[in-house]
Amino acid sequence: MTFGVILLGLVIAVSVIGSVIPQQREAMYYVRQYPSTYQLILQLGLDRVFTSWYFIVIIILLCLNLILCSLLRWRFLQKADPAGAVLGRASDVKLPLAKRQAVETYLEKILRCRKVDAGKKKIYLKYQFGRYGTFITHLGILLTVIFFAAGMALPKLHDTSCYPGESIILDDGTEIMIESFSIEDDTGRLDYRSVINVTMPDGRSTGPSDLSVNHPVSIGSLKVYQQTYGTVGQISVTDNAGHKDSFFVESNDFLSADGKNGILIDNLYPGLEETEEGTKLIMSTSGRYKNPVYLFMVMQEGTQEAMLAFPGDEIEVGGYTYRFEAPVEYPGLRIKKAPAYANICLLISVMILTAGLFITFLLSPVTVLIDEEGYLLPGGRPEGVRLKLKAIADGKGETHA
Amino acid sequence: MLDILFFAGLGLYFASMLLRFFGQVWQKDTVSTLSWRIFMAGFAAQTAYIIMRGLEAGRIPMANQFEFAVMFSWGIAVILVVLHYRLNLNWITTIAIIMTWGIYLYAALLPRQINELMPALRSVWFVSHIGSAAFSYAAFMLAGASGIRYLLIHGKNPADERLEEIDYFIYRLIAIGLLLLTVTIVIGAIWAEEAWSSFWTWDPKEVWALITWILYAIGLHLRLGQKKKGVFMAWYAVIAVPVVLFTFIGVNTLMSGLHSYGAAVKMLL
Repeated sequence: MTFGVILLGLVIAVSVIGSVIPQQREAMYYVRQYPSTYQLILQLGLDRVFTSWYFIVIIILLCLNLILCSLLRWRFLQKADPAGAVLGRASDVKLPLAKRQAVETYLEKILRCRKVDAGKKKIYLKYQFGRYGTFITHLGILLTVIFFAAGMALPKLHDTSCYPGESIILDDGTEIMIESFSIEDDTGRLDYRSVINVTMPDGRSTGPSDLSVNHPVSIGSLKVYQQTYGTVGQISVTDNAGHKDSFFVESNDFLSADGKNGILIDNLYPGLEETEEGTKLIMSTSGRYKNPVYLFMVMQEGTQEAMLAFPGDEIEVGGYTYRFEAPVEYPGLRIKKAPAYANICLLISVMILTAGLFITFLLSPVTVLIDEEGYLLPGGRPEGVRLKLKAIADGKGETHA
Repeated sequence: MLDILFFAGLGLYFASMLLRFFGQVWQKDTVSTLSWRIFMAGFAAQTAYIIMRGLEAGRIPMANQFEFAVMFSWGIAVILVVLHYRLNLNWITTIAIIMTWGIYLYAALLPRQINELMPALRSVWFVSHIGSAAFSYAAFMLAGASGIRYLLIHGKNPADERLEEIDYFIYRLIAIGLLLLTVTIVIGAIWAEEAWSSFWTWDPKEVWALITWILYAIGLHLRLGQKKKGVFMAWYAVIAVPVVLFTFIGVNTLMSGLHSYGAAVKMLL
């Protein structure tokens, strides 16, 4: 038990370090942030303590400790017979008849214990399965640690983004079609929502499915999450013959037919702001771009000129008409592949753990022997019952213990 | 109207705390009784505030640090009221009123505006995850309050018959707090898997919730297995309180992570 407590103390110590020192950053981050101690941090692996060898060793030792502890508890439980164990004993709290009857009334009527008559002795029993509480708790912790580790190691994550109307093809041939995406609902409230269609290599498909934060789309072992979003510019280009094409544009994209004349996109900004010093570009915003503006360079005949354009504006360069369209929002998706059984096993484990704690703390087994002289509560447990019986014995039956 | 209710609650709790203090110094039961009535008035004002804020926001008000602090303080008050009326426990009242007021005062220092619920928080798990956390912290705080009371009484008279009862309630409060914290962590993990694709990210809030869980689990383990009770357990309950407060306040103010709802809107969606 002491060894287990020491191990738990070590888990706390490592966790504190892992929460104080930001984890999983590039080495240069630590060099800049901790100029005097970065070498120590990197050498001891304090930049990734939760995957360090010493943390894993602590967890393995904890598991071994839990296995041993569970086995010992199981053996003890198999041997124990609470009713039989107390039958051969005598009361240790001596009471007159009236108080003994009060104790029995409490056990029978209020606590609703099961009564076993054994000659001149009576045994009151309740929640006998509660003896398994600590065993179930230890087993639950053990299983939780094991399946937690599996649940952290097994999933394969892939972050990607895709413009509406386009598809992502995964390595195994799974296709994720982004049919639409919006970042606000009809009332203007932020609500990141995509409609996607996932088609597996074997032809199974989700059909058009709503994907939003907290509502991933699942099919087989694949799960697609709404992770982030971005805003991209869109430009339509028309040539002299009337042929039209449309492009999504990002910073440094150069739209040109001959590689010399065209427009170079500098950036797309959420809007303009009038200040005392003049007009300023808004650099970032939350939600939809309210008044989007394109900053771009016109490259023509070896010259270049910086310009601003709003959606709907057109400009002619090198025989082509460039029309700036309203920006389009697109989703950033996280694609997770993980066997479903890992999560199910983990869920069952934590349910076992929670049930174990519930039984241990709230359904403690009650075994009370009543003989002709008084009562016996082996080990003085549960403490609540001990205090209640003591209160009755002391004539303070109204005490709520 | 909302502000009036909020500050009425804060003021009433403060008045109750002062009266309680004087009632104990002067040994006047009438003053202590009046203190309790004023506390109940403060509790009613706080309850009304939570309900009205919830109606105005169109959701359960637990979406940011301020709202959680109000709920946390209210949780302490609820448990105190239950202990007072159902179990007639008076030894915990003074320190519990101070704690209720202290957390409520902390809330008063935070911005009170009602914000729209961000997409990441629009989940069926929202109420159960945060609600169980608030009541779990409240139970731990009251265990700490009981620990202080135990140590004060023990300092005066180690044979005081109330000590056994207080010791038992420290155990019960920690056990209930641990159970609720387990529920908080489990529900949080399920929610995180739905929202962030991983049930555990070693985010500072998660790590400190785990530290809190382990800390109290060790305490209960020592009590149940090695019969560490009395003064030891009282000190343990008191010393663990700063850890709970750090998990609640320190992590949100000193560390950034996925639970920093005030700042990292875009990261979280």
